[in-house]
Amino acid sequence: MFTQREILSVVEMLKNENLDVRTVTLGLNLLDCASDDIGRFTDNIYTRITGAAKNLVKICDEVGDKYGIPVVNKRISVSPIAVAGAPFNAQQMLSVATTLNEAASKARVDFIGGFSALVEKGIARGDRALIEAIPEALTGTQRVCASVNVASTRAGINIDAVLLMGRTIKEAARRTADRDGLACAKLCVFANIPQDIPFMAGAYLGVGEADAVINVGVSGPGVVKKAIDRATASNPNLNLGQISEIIKHTAYKVTRIGELIGREVAQRLGIKFGVVDLSLAPTPNVGDSVGEIFQSLGLASIGVPGSTVALALLNDAVKKGGAFASSKVGGLSGAFIPVSEDLNISQAAALGHLSIEKLEAMTCVCSVGLDMVAIPGDTSQETLAAIIADEMAIGVINKKTTATRLIPVPGKKAGEHAFFGGLLGESIIMPVNNATGENRFLRRGGLIPSPIHSLVN
Amino acid sequence: MKKMIISVLGKDRPGIIAAVTRILFEQDCNIENVSQTILQNEFSGIFIVSVPKVLSEGDLHRHLDTGLSPMGLHVYEKRLSTNEESQTEVDSEPFVVVTKGPDRKGLVASITAIMAAHRVNVTNLQAVFKGGDDPNANIMIYEVDIPADANQPALRRDLREKALALSLDLSIQHKLIFEAINRV
Repeated sequence: MFTQREILSVVEMLKNENLDVRTVTLGLNLLDCASDDIGRFTDNIYTRITGAAKNLVKICDEVGDKYGIPVVNKRISVSPIAVAGAPFNAQQMLSVATTLNEAASKARVDFIGGFSALVEKGIARGDRALIEAIPEALTGTQRVCASVNVASTRAGINIDAVLLMGRTIKEAARRTADRDGLACAKLCVFANIPQDIPFMAGAYLGVGEADAVINVGVSGPGVVKKAIDRATASNPNLNLGQISEIIKHTAYKVTRIGELIGREVAQRLGIKFGVVDLSLAPTPNVGDSVGEIFQSLGLASIGVPGSTVALALLNDAVKKGGAFASSKVGGLSGAFIPVSEDLNISQAAALGHLSIEKLEAMTCVCSVGLDMVAIPGDTSQETLAAIIADEMAIGVINKKTTATRLIPVPGKKAGEHAFFGGLLGESIIMPVNNATGENRFLRRGGLIPSPIHSLVN
Repeated sequence: MKKMIISVLGKDRPGIIAAVTRILFEQDCNIENVSQTILQNEFSGIFIVSVPKVLSEGDLHRHLDTGLSPMGLHVYEKRLSTNEESQTEVDSEPFVVVTKGPDRKGLVASITAIMAAHRVNVTNLQAVFKGGDDPNANIMIYEVDIPADANQPALRRDLREKALALSLDLSIQHKLIFEAINRV
C-alpha cells in the first residue's frame, strides 16, 4: 500500500515531465559470423541481426504500453566491424555497411551502431579498410553509425589515427554536402570508448561482451528541470547543496523506471540485461533540454561563466542518484551537451553565449565531448584533427570518455545555419579559431604516450 | 477449531483493540489476522480468529456485545467456510488508477461500475473528498488487480470516456512503477 503523496508524486512525474525511456539498445556479438568470404559474412550478419532483433520493436512497444512509459528509440549495436570483418578491404566494408542498413531496416530500428574500429595504439589492416570506407558508408546508408576510438588512458593518443579521422570527416562532409554534411552526424571519434553505450552514434558492442545484451538509456532532462523548478518555486532560497540532493533523488526515480522497463524487455526477449546508461539525453524539443536545466539553476544561459561548475554539479548528482538506483550502471552515464540536438544549447550558441572553447571546458566534467557541433565548411582537416586531439587529451588525462561529433558544413560559414533534421536537430555554425590554418604540431604524427597515472598495476 | 470473521464499528477512542482482544483472549480464541482503519474519527476493525469448538457463535456474540456495546461499538460475526478461504486465484496484474476532479455524487460508483464490468478487483481504495472544485482536493486512488485475460485497451477506453464525462483527470499505471520509485 502506498501513501497518497507517493502515488501523486509518481503520477505527476509521468504526466507532465516528458518521462520516457530514451533508448533500448540490443547489443549483438557478430564475431561468430566471421568468414573471409564477403558474401558469406554479410549473409551471416544479416541472418543474425534480423533473427535476434525480430521482436525487439514489438516487445519494446508492448512493455511501453503496459507501463504507460514509451520506449522512444529502439536500436541495435554490434561488434566492431573492423574486428568482425578484419579480412575485408574498403570496398567490401561498404557492402557490410549496406547489409547493416538493410538489417536495421528489416528490424525497424532507426539506427544501428558498430561500424567501428579501435585504433588507440595502432591501426590494423581491417581498421584502415573500415575507416577508409566510412565516408561512403555513411553517405550511402541512413541507419548506420560509425565510431573510431583513437585514444585511451592506457594506450595514449594515436595522432596518426586522429589525422586520419580529420581527413575522413572532411571527406564524409564533402560527400553529403547537399545535406549540410549529414554523414558526419553519424560519426563519433572517441577516447576511452565504453563497450556498452546504448546511445547513438557511439553505440557498439565491445569484444568483452556476451552474445546478446540489452542496454538501456534513460531519459530525464525534462524531469530534472521540472523537479528543480518545483523545488525553487516553493523555496526560492535553496542552496546548491540542496539542489544537488533534488537532482539526485530525481535521477534515482528516472533510473529505477529505466531499469524496470529494460529488464522486462530483456526478459521477454530472453536476452541478458546489460546496463542502464544514466546519461541525460536531450532532444530538439522544448522541455526536453539539458540547456534549460542551466537556466533553472539560475544561469542566464549555458555557456556563460558558471556553466562548467553547474554541469559538474548536475553530472555528479545524476550519477549518485543513478548509481544507487541500479545495480548495473554503464555506458557514458553523464549529461550530454549535443549542440544541434538540444534546442536551448543551439540557441545559446546562436546568441553568442556558447563558444567551442567553453564547450571543450565543459567536457572536462561531463560524459561526452564536442557533440553535434557544426563548424565552418572550410575548416582544414588539420584543424579538425587538432580539435579532436585536444578533446582526446581531456579524456586520456582525466581517465574518462570524451568524444567528438564535428560537422564541417560544406559551403557554409560561421553564423549560418545547418539543418540535419529529426533527432539530429539544427544549429548555428560556430566559429573556429584558426579554422583554415595549418597545424605543424599535429602533422608530426605518431603516438602520444599514455600518461604516468596509467601505470597503475 | 472453527474460523470466524468479526467486524467492529464505532466512534474511535483509546482502548477499542484492547477491549476486543481481551474478550477474545478470555474466550480462548486465537487471532489470525487483523485490519483496522479510521475514517473521520470512525473506527472500523476486522478480525479473523479461530474459535474453540466448545464456544458457540451465540455465546461469542454475547461476550463481545456485552463488552463492547457500552463503548458504543457495534459487532458483527460470521462463520468462515473452508470454501471461502480457498478462493481460486485469478491470474492478474496490479495497477493503480488515480482520478482527480471536481467532487460530485456517484464518482466512485461510476468508476467502479466500469471496473466491475471488466472483472477488475479493487484491492485498496483511498478517496479524499474535501468538496469544491479544486481537483487536488478530490482524489481517488484505486489499487486494482486486472485479470490477465481482460481486454485492457477496452478497459482503458471505457475508464477514460467515463472520466471525460465526469470532468475527471484519470491515470492508470502499473503498480511496479510505484514500487520501483518508492521502495528501495
